[in-house]
Amino acid sequence: MSVKYVPVQWNANKWGYDAVLIAVVVLYVWIFIRLGTPAADLARPLDYAILRMRAFGTCAFWMLTFILCIGPLARLDKRFLPVLYNRRHFGVLTTVVAFTHAMYVLGWYFSFTAQSQLTALLSSATGFGQILGFPIEALGLAALLLLAILSATSHDFWLSFLSAPVWKTLHLLIYPAYALVVAHVALGYFQDSKNPIFGTLFVVSALIVAMLHLAALIKERRVNASAIEWVEACRPQDIQDKRAAIVPLSKDERVAIFRTGNSFSAVSNACAHQGGPLGEGKIVFGCVTCPWHGFSYKARNGRSPAPFTEMIPTYNMKLEDGLLYIDRQANQPGTDVEPIISEVTEDA
Amino acid sequence: MTLLMVCSLYLYVGAAVAVVFLLFGVGKLDENAQDAWVFRPLLIPGVLLIWPLVIWRWAVLRRGEQKLDRHRMPRVRQERAQLAFVIVIPLIIMTALFVRQDPDMLPAPELIEAAK
Repeated sequence: MSVKYVPVQWNANKWGYDAVLIAVVVLYVWIFIRLGTPAADLARPLDYAILRMRAFGTCAFWMLTFILCIGPLARLDKRFLPVLYNRRHFGVLTTVVAFTHAMYVLGWYFSFTAQSQLTALLSSATGFGQILGFPIEALGLAALLLLAILSATSHDFWLSFLSAPVWKTLHLLIYPAYALVVAHVALGYFQDSKNPIFGTLFVVSALIVAMLHLAALIKERRVNASAIEWVEACRPQDIQDKRAAIVPLSKDERVAIFRTGNSFSAVSNACAHQGGPLGEGKIVFGCVTCPWHGFSYKARNGRSPAPFTEMIPTYNMKLEDGLLYIDRQANQPGTDVEPIISEVTEDA
Repeated sequence: MTLLMVCSLYLYVGAAVAVVFLLFGVGKLDENAQDAWVFRPLLIPGVLLIWPLVIWRWAVLRRGEQKLDRHRMPRVRQERAQLAFVIVIPLIIMTALFVRQDPDMLPAPELIEAAK
């Protein structure tokens, strides 16, 4: 949260998460090379270098595939939230693995060129007008550039500096990045691979990513469909104690009404950190706690407890005829609003 | 070659922006960055890559035009990006499957000497 910036905010959970990630990557590359090496015989002595670059390339693809599954999975099923917790480190490691793949490609195919390696790479294949034989190098390079932008702007400073909406928009680049990677593999290794296992896994996993995003999109549309003229929110008893009801005001704006006993307060549903869905979190130690990274706010004023300084907008509410109503106009972030007190009679 | 030259120029300008921004801008724009120097080298790659955006945000923040709707996430934009993504991925896969040449369907190799 808002303390002096440090290069990487690690804690015990993140250490564990990162250790598991690195171990899995090392194990994957090792197994890939070990299994592939017997296939390289004396007649094909160069295959080890190709095997190594494919190990890192396929590893980066699976990692990116998994990363793109995390968002919709967490949206569809809260049990996946712990995986989302340290997704940024996952993304940075994926970029490192993809970069290693690219370095091996340059080092192997373009070592002895008179031009610079990048010039040689970009000018060696120029069949942009054809599908089969399309320069997959350019696709891979473009994907790597987008991944580099995402990783390089993943520090909390960038969120604060760019503001959450701009940062989030920039990070939508993950979609074209993945599409480029899929095209890079589909028109490259997939065309060449005689191993049906890889081809099948590749097609199935890319389609699973697309389907998961479609499912999440449909769920979001259903929530937005109820964003009509706002008068009423819900009944007090509809909200579980220490939980929230999420109320859409427009397609871009949602409010979370939190209940603590008989007290009700409304805050923006978007966490000031990464725009996480606060309404899917709960009240922990008297504070609204984001389910993504644990950022906390007091429900009545939207302020993080000292010494932290994050603030989110609050909303005025009223209680009429047993229903909670929200004022569409958000208050300035950090504005104190007297909570609504209502005796809650649970439904039989 | 021209593309790489333009890219090099872009990165050189980014490096100049990074020096000024990290030495003189960051601390004034963000109180959490004041007297915090160790993390600043970590920002260099980001400034190199998106320096036009950095200059724009720097100017906005200096003018005090901080937008108050920062709690409004770009959901519509995200939905559109997601929708395009959901369409494009299967299209790429189908295209790749369509053009894929089955090695078993290719004519078997034969020795040129034998063909004569």
